[in-house]
Order: sequence, then C-alpha cells, then structure tokens
Amino acid sequence: MARGPGGWLRESVWEIPLRRYLALLLGLALVTGLFFTVRALAHDDRSCAPGVVRPENSEECVGVATTAYDFGHPQLRDAVQAIDRENDRLRPGSYVTVALMLPYTATTPSTLSDIQHELQGAYLAQYEANHSSNGQSPAIRLVLASPGATGAHWVRMVDQLERMTKSADRLRAVAGVGMSTDGNKAAVQELTGRGIPVVGSSITADDLANGHQGKDPFPGLARVSPTNTDEARALASFAKVTAGKALLVYDKPGDPYTRTLQMSFAKLIKGSPYEPQPFTPPADRSQEGTTANTFRQITHLVCDTSPETDTILFAGRHTQLRQFINALGGRGCQERKFTLLTGDEGSYLTGEKDLDRSALEHNLSVRYTALAHPDAWVKDPARTGGSAEDARVLTDLLAKSGRAPVGPIGSVGLEDGQLIIAYDAMRLAVHGIREATAEGRVVPPLADVGLQWPQVKGSLRVSGASGWICLDVHGNPYDKAVPIVELTPEGRSRFVKIAWPEGKAPGKECLPPS
Amino acid sequence: MGRRLHGRGALFDTDPAGLAPRLVGLRPHQHRAHQVEHAQELPFVVLTGGRGLGKSAVLVELRDAYQGHTPVALIDCEDAQFAAPPSGRPAEAWSPVAQALLVIAEQLAEPVTGAGRIQFPRLMSGLVAVAAGGWGDADSERIRREVERILLLNESGSWIAHFAGRWAGRVAANVVAAATGTGALVSSAIEATLESISDSFVHRRHQKAATWWRDHPNAGGNARRGLMLLSGHFRAEGSSREHAERYLVRALLADLAEAYAGMLPRMQRLGRPLVLLDNSQTAPGPGLTDAVLRDRADGIADRVAFIAALRGDSRPALRNAVRRTLPEVARRSEWAPDPAAWSSRALLVSLPRLGPDDTLHLVGAACAGTPAPARLPPATHRLTGGNPLGITLLAEAAAQHLPGAASLGELLVADVRLHAERDRTPAYLELLDRLVPAEHLDELTVLAAAHDHDSACALAAALLPDDFGPADIRSLQTRLRQEGLPAVPGRFVGDPFVRTLLLLRLHHRDPDHTQWRTAHETLVEHYAPTCDETDAPARARCRLHHQLALGTTDPAVDHLRDTFPTLDTRTWLRSLRFIASAPYFHAHDDQGRDFDGQDDRRAAVALGGTDAATRPPDGVDPALHLRIRRLLHAVWQLTDPLALPDPTVCHRLRFELEQLSNLRPAGNALLWRASRDWPEDALAGRPLRIPDDDEDGEA
Repeated sequence: MARGPGGWLRESVWEIPLRRYLALLLGLALVTGLFFTVRALAHDDRSCAPGVVRPENSEECVGVATTAYDFGHPQLRDAVQAIDRENDRLRPGSYVTVALMLPYTATTPSTLSDIQHELQGAYLAQYEANHSSNGQSPAIRLVLASPGATGAHWVRMVDQLERMTKSADRLRAVAGVGMSTDGNKAAVQELTGRGIPVVGSSITADDLANGHQGKDPFPGLARVSPTNTDEARALASFAKVTAGKALLVYDKPGDPYTRTLQMSFAKLIKGSPYEPQPFTPPADRSQEGTTANTFRQITHLVCDTSPETDTILFAGRHTQLRQFINALGGRGCQERKFTLLTGDEGSYLTGEKDLDRSALEHNLSVRYTALAHPDAWVKDPARTGGSAEDARVLTDLLAKSGRAPVGPIGSVGLEDGQLIIAYDAMRLAVHGIREATAEGRVVPPLADVGLQWPQVKGSLRVSGASGWICLDVHGNPYDKAVPIVELTPEGRSRFVKIAWPEGKAPGKECLPPS
Repeated sequence: MGRRLHGRGALFDTDPAGLAPRLVGLRPHQHRAHQVEHAQELPFVVLTGGRGLGKSAVLVELRDAYQGHTPVALIDCEDAQFAAPPSGRPAEAWSPVAQALLVIAEQLAEPVTGAGRIQFPRLMSGLVAVAAGGWGDADSERIRREVERILLLNESGSWIAHFAGRWAGRVAANVVAAATGTGALVSSAIEATLESISDSFVHRRHQKAATWWRDHPNAGGNARRGLMLLSGHFRAEGSSREHAERYLVRALLADLAEAYAGMLPRMQRLGRPLVLLDNSQTAPGPGLTDAVLRDRADGIADRVAFIAALRGDSRPALRNAVRRTLPEVARRSEWAPDPAAWSSRALLVSLPRLGPDDTLHLVGAACAGTPAPARLPPATHRLTGGNPLGITLLAEAAAQHLPGAASLGELLVADVRLHAERDRTPAYLELLDRLVPAEHLDELTVLAAAHDHDSACALAAALLPDDFGPADIRSLQTRLRQEGLPAVPGRFVGDPFVRTLLLLRLHHRDPDHTQWRTAHETLVEHYAPTCDETDAPARARCRLHHQLALGTTDPAVDHLRDTFPTLDTRTWLRSLRFIASAPYFHAHDDQGRDFDGQDDRRAAVALGGTDAATRPPDGVDPALHLRIRRLLHAVWQLTDPLALPDPTVCHRLRFELEQLSNLRPAGNALLWRASRDWPEDALAGRPLRIPDDDEDGEA
C-alpha cells in the first residue's frame, strides 16, 4: 500500500509505542539542539570583554573593563596586563576600586600614546600604593572605564560605574577623564552628581572645574592640572606679556579648552591695539580642514604689526597649532623674532611628522605650558612647590618597570607629561580614599572620599612628581608648578623654566588664600 | 490497497470497523491499532459456506491485509503436505496437526513492523520430542534435516546470533550426535535440545521456556520427563495422540503469549497474531480447531485471532457454536460463550452471496477495457445467484470474448485463460472443477436433470453404471447438503447455478448430444401419463418441461392453450413459468446435429416472426394458439439464465399478457399485474414473480 511520508511516520513510528517514545525523545533533543544552535547563530555577540560591550549602532567598545582587555590596541597590552596582574593579586574584601576613565577607543596615534602613558602612570601609582605604603589600607584595584572616543557613550559607563559602587567592586573614585569634551563634561557632571568622586588628570579647561564664575557644578571633583587660566597666568608671568607686544589668535567658536585659554589670554592683553584674529576649524579638531589658508592670511597681519610686537598668543588645538607654525615658517618678515605662546596642546607637537621643523630655525620659538616635565625639578630646583626627591620616587619605580614584578608596562615616554600627571592624579585619589578610611576600617564610605579634597593642603598636601598638589576649596590645585617648554627644531621639547600661576612658588605651608 | 473484495465490507471495513479489525486490533493494510471487541476472550471465527463463496479469497485477503503488521499464518488444510508424511518418515512420528503447527509457527515467526522474529522454544522442544520417536532406523542426514527445520523455529534472527553462528546448526549437530550415539535415542535427543535452550546465554525467556514442559501431567516437575511422555503419547496414536497434539497446540500458544508479554513487547507489537485455516473441514483443521476451543473452554486463555474457513454449514463437533450471518457481525458480533459447551467458543459466520451491485462492480472492473452490454451484469447475477467465483470467472470470460459472444451460454462454453501459464479451458468446466466435488462430477452431470429421488433413480438406471444404486444417490444428496448446497424441493441439485452448469456439461458431453437427449427422453418417459390421476398435472408439467428441453414445443403450447380457459389463472401462470424454465439449446435435427447454426430462435417466435408459417391445429382458436405460442417462447427466452433478456421480447411479453387478461375476466387482475411485473423482473435479472404468491419456487 502506497503511503506518503505522513503515513509512514504515523504507521511505522507513531503507532508503535517504543518507537513513538524514542522518536519523541529524539525530537526533543533535536529541537533543543536546534534552539541553541539558532540562538547561538542569531545572537549578535556585541560584547568585547567582561563589562565591555559595543552599543547598538556603534562599533566602539564601551563600559568598564575589569580584565586585561586592551580595547584592540596592542600598544596598551603590556600596561593592562600589568594592571590585571596587580588586581588579581588582591585579596577579596581588602580593596576598593578606582576606575581610570579615558577614551580607550580613540584611534589617532597621538591620543593613543597619551592613553598608554596615562595607563602606565596610573598603574605605577597603584603599584606604589599597594606595595610601598606600609600596609596602609585599603588596597587599590584599577579598572578601565571607556565612554567612547568622544565620550558619546558616557551614560552607559556612568550607570555601570554607579552599580560598581554598591557591588563587591566597591568603586570609590574615578580618575583620568582625558580631554575636555562635552561628553566627558556631562559624564563628570553625572558622576559627581551621583556622589562618585572624580580626579581629573590632564583636564585643564576652566569650565570643567569648580569655582569657575563662583559656582561648584561638580561637587567631589579634584584636579591635578592647573586650569587654563592658571596656565595663562603662569605664561604671562614667565614671558612678561604686555598689551602692546602681543597678538591673540584664537579658535572660534572653540571648545571649553580653547575658550578658557582665549579668555585668559584676552585678559592679559586687555587694551591691545591689535584686534584678536579668529579662525574656524572643523568640528572635529583633529581634521585638517581649510584653516591653513586662514593662517597664511594671519601671518601677513603678524608681519604688519609694529616692530616691538614679538609675542603671538595662540588659543587653539594642536592640529591648528601645527598649521599655524607651518604658516609662520613661510612668513614674509623672517628677520623679525617671534615667540609663540600656547597652552599644553603644544606638547602634542613633539614627534609630530607634519610639522615644518625648519620654521623653528627662523626666529620663531614655540613655548607652551606642559602639564609636567621630567626635567622640571632637575634643571630648576625650587625650594617649595615641588622637589627632585618627589619626582625621583616615580623615576625609581620607572627604572624597575621594565621587568617583573613591576613590569613590563610597555615603552615609556615622560616628555608629554601624561605619565607623570596620571601618576599624580592616581596618587591624589589614593590619598583621598585612605584619608577617608576611618581607623580600623578597610573601606571608606563613598561620600567621604570627595570630602577629603579641601583638606589636601599644608602638611596633608600630595607631593606629586609634577609638583605639590594643594587643593583649594573647589578642588583645583593652588599655585601648581607649570613647566614652560620649548619646541626644538628636532621635534622634541626642551624644558625652559618652571612658571607659577601666582608669579612665584607657593609658601612652605602651601595654603591657598581665602 | 491492492485487490478489494466486493461485498465483504462487514469483514474489512475500518470506519466503522468490520469483524477483522475488531478481532485483530489492527486496521487492515495499515499499521494502526484499533480497539478490540473481545478484550478478554475472543471467538474462534469460522467462515462457513459452499464452494465458490470466496472463503479462500477472504483468507488470502486477510493475510495480505495484515502481513508485515502482525504475525500471520495461513495454511490450506487440503494442501498435499498435510495429507501424508513425507517419504521416509514413519507415520507414528508424524501427524497433520504436528506438521501444521510447524508450518504455522514458521510463518508466525517472521518479523513485523516494529518487532523482530518470534521464537518458539516450547513448540520446538515438543516437535523435536515427537520427531525423535521416528528416528529409530533413520540415517543421521535425515535426522539432521528434520531437526534443523524444527530448530529454526527458535532462531532469533538478531545480529548477535548471526555473529555467533547459526544457533540451529550448532544445536542440530549436538542433537544428531546424541541421537545416533549409544543409549536411549529419544531421551538423548530431548536432553540435547533442552540443554541447548537452558544453557543459552541469550536471555531469561529461554530459561523460562526450558521449564515449561515440567508442568506436563505426570512429569513430576521434570521437563525431560514431560517431553518423553509427550513423545510416547504421540506414538501411541488414537486419543493419546490427540492428547499430545493438544499439548503441542498449547505450546505454540504459550510461545506466542510469551512473545506478547512484558513491557518491551507491549511497546513494540500492535494487535494480535492471526492464524488463518483454509478448508478446515479437512485434517488438520478439526484437530487444531478443537484443541484451541477445548483449551479456551478449560480456561487456558490465549490472545490469538483464529479465522478458519469451513466448507458447508457446520461440523457435528461444532453443533453448539454461535451462528451469525456476515451482515449480523458487521458492527458487533454479540458473541458470548456458553460455559457448558466448549464448541460455543466458536463463532460460525456464514458468507452471503454477492448482491446485484457487487456483481455490477465486479463485471465493470473486469471489463474496464471492453464495452460490456448493460444487460450483462444483471444477467450474470441471475445466472450465478451472487456466487463470487461464478461472477469473477464470467466477468473474466466476458473481458476475453466480448464483444464476440452474444449470450452467457456462449461465454461459459468459450475457452478462458485464467493464468498465463495455464491452458485455455471452457469456463463452465473451470467452474464445475471448483464448485463440485471432482469425484462425483460425472454422476452429478447426469442427475442434474432430475427433480427428485425417483427421477434421479430413473436417470441413474438409464445413464450411470449399474453399481450406482439408490443408496449412492442418497449418499450423494447428503454429500451435497454437507457441502453447503441448498436443498430445493423439485430439484435434485438445489443450487440453480451449479445445476445450469451441470446441464451445460451434460449437453456438451458428446458431439451428438446423445446423453443429453437420453436424459430428457428418460424423464419424459418417467413422467408419462399413468392411471393414477392425483398428480397428473404435476407429471404433465415435468413431461412438457423436458419435451421443451428437447426442442419439442407443440405439446406445451397445446397444453397451455387448452388449460388457459379452465385452469385457475395463478396455477396456469405457474405452469407456464415451470415449463418455460426448460434449458434451451438451439435446435438439433433427429441425429442431434446442429441444423440452424447458433441462433436463438425463441425471440423470432416470440415476436411473431414465424406466425405466418405456423398452422394452428384444426378446431382451436388460431389467435389464442399463436398468442400462447408467442408467450411461451417469450417466457422461455426471458427466463433462460444463459441468455441475455431481450428488451423487445419483454415489451412483447407485456403486450401478450395484457391481451390474455382481456380474455379471462376472472383472472384479469392477475394477468394484468403479471404483464407489468414480469418484463420488469426479467430485465432486472430477477425470477418472475407471480403477484401475491409467497411461493417463489419454480415448481
């Protein structure tokens, strides 16, 4: 009798109980297998590492990495592995966590180099805190918080960090922050708004600080870098800039960094006979854009100034700075000597291949404020505000970092100051945490950490490798040493002098005036 | 679904279920379980009926419907292998029942969908013990051949067994060695067989089987002793052998029960095993049937569905069996055994003849490629009376000879080829071969013309050898009754179809039809007028009937014409019908040779074509004479089972009866209604009914 497949199934399988039950078992196993296979195939694995995922519509890995995850950059691998080794060593319950918030997913080589150096600095501070502080508790665990290259995915990261404050991670501070972008500013605002202390490392923008225009929008934020205003003031005190001798070139509309620098410069040269010269770069300031033409026109104006004018104040980002220097190299009045002063963006030009280095050989010197400089305390020994001994703690650690147990941590570079400033930021965070830890307790309450910042002064100051860190009531460093460096024709930075925002080094007691 | 049997839906239907699915628990031709009707004890179904009613066809269809789905065995008890022991085998160690059990078990062992082979260790041990009784002077080769066939009943057919070498071969060697060695032969063979199953590493079931024979009466808990007793009883013959055979049947049923017991078999096997016994009136049929029925009556239950076919109505042993017709058991058999009578556990189901619709379907199916006349199916049904074999064969003959043949008579006489490898034979001989006991065919051929015992004696005296006397005639009558042929008053052979075939044979027996003529002349003589006037009308009718068969029509016309005004109309119509039921063969000259070809001249006479050439006797009403003549020929043609009813003749018959009704005011109503009914009946293939007459016989 002809039977279809349905009939066969009915009569040769279903009707015979033994075969029916075996077939049901087999079918169940197949369905289960199929379910898991389909789920595995259909599932878009958007995770990068534990705690780190790629959000919808984005290929960036964002979140908080608690393992040795290098965000796809082999350059960072040694440093993250060193941090992971140190984290793994910690006994559960004995530590608190500090997150290092940086744009790990950035791709530009100069930014990556900064991140690598900041990682190294933070790690060295962690290592020092866990190994060379007479068994002070708690121990410090370091995790990497990534808000994306521009900080766009800060909401996810902030939520994750907040959860970590309540979990066994016991997150007590966020260090780093990186560039002064709008996303990062919002992230800091949210973090501090939720009571998580933040220690800014390389941020210099005035409006990413408390005390600006008398307001404290970021309660619990401490910084180790001077504000743009302080940098400008230090520059001014170094170069004796007066209104009649300087011309201001600025980024319009600018970002928080350039705007505060521009305002600080403008204040210095109030009443200048020369109108400040604006330029408008692309929104992403790492792009070339058409500003090179603008700068060529500005060089004519520069040459048109009166002979006593020898200073150009530049309020802009490093790409535009490079274009301006290249333009100045081709200026008409080569015989006139000019000094270009700018903020810490100048540090990016060391090792910059597109820079026309010959420009620096024709009566043009480029000087800028650095966040820190390895030669600062060696070449300019000051009695107060910082010391070579303080700096040597770090250099000794660096000497050991090439091999176990400290290293390896990858190739080290100190000239951009990022390593030093991250090291200091981390030390400040550790200082705050340990100061907030009550006697006999291991873990400080989260709220108490941020309350320590106003007390960091006098004998409770942090003697950082970049100089003394004495915080005012707003959490900003008081009279922080500002190394002035000069860009050499070889593309390196040469330490010139330490300048002080207040015009001189702070007193021994290092107490901000009220 | 292959071949479908017509008119047997009561057995094979699935929705609602017929008898077979209710017994077996499986739908025919499907591997789908069905609710069984008798869950506790099921009836031993015996299909009864005469030859040609399709009993064998039903059994074959049952086997085809269930083969591969549940274990099925079909044996024909008339098969030669059950008639006598194979050469070289002594009768004391062989019986039809033992042989049948071996064949049945061999067929039941075959694997089915979802389950593997069935093993028969109990039956195997018993059969070896029985066979060993005949090995006294046998050579080892014969012993090995016999024992190996029996031992194959215990092959599991699994790949493990295959891997370990054929079990039967190894055990056979042991048994042969034991039987041909020194010491008691039977005992050694039994010992070797029992060891082979009790030592078997295969499974627990064998261990259980090895101990089954312990329960044999007087075995004393010793299986070997039980088998020795069995062997002894079997050799003793008579009722002892019957006793031994009952145990062998019981062993088969126990092995089958074992195959269906337990968790795993229940999850693998659907329905019940089915054993089909054809021709169970012959040994080993009665032995098997009675053994199963007696065991069931003794409370030794089994779950095997038995369906046997029995020629005739019953056997004396089954006198208490429950009787049903097939249509009665179509939905429910309503069977319940009577605890006091063991034979009440049998359910006799008589197979009915096929209906006109089934005939139409059968003829239609066979003549799918040939245009068959629309009158053929009803005429076929009228001739065969619904006999399935007759319908099938006639349909086959029609398929082979249409449109050449003009009547059923020609179809029956024509040669048909039923199998490609067989010669062509006339259809009527093929039918008689299967419908009539071969050993009595010649006698019956002659006696078919007889009406009762006396006329049969007259015929036998005239045409049969001298040693065939009245006693033989009576025994032949009894034999026909046993075969299931109906007893009809006024007919020596009660079945009209068989009778027609026999008369056909009588006619064609010799080229000049001498026997045919002699038979009818003898009967004309036998019914010659006597002094005794009491049964003169009946004798006259018989005489005229046979004269008509000889082609002499005038006395019949005269008789009917003369009695028309005087006789009661109803009686007159009966006379007309009876006289006209004479067999018709085209006219012959005095030497019996054909003289006007194959034509049927009755129609021409009935339609008045010969009226001009006919001179009515003087002194009679010529119109009435011719009308009666036409009427007789019309009825003769229309009631001839071998001819196709002619619609024109029907029309004429109606007219003639109408006219006659005008002549007889007293019988007006009856004649008028006959004028309406008879043409209709003739065309539909029914016997002509006399209105308001309960008696539909032909007398």
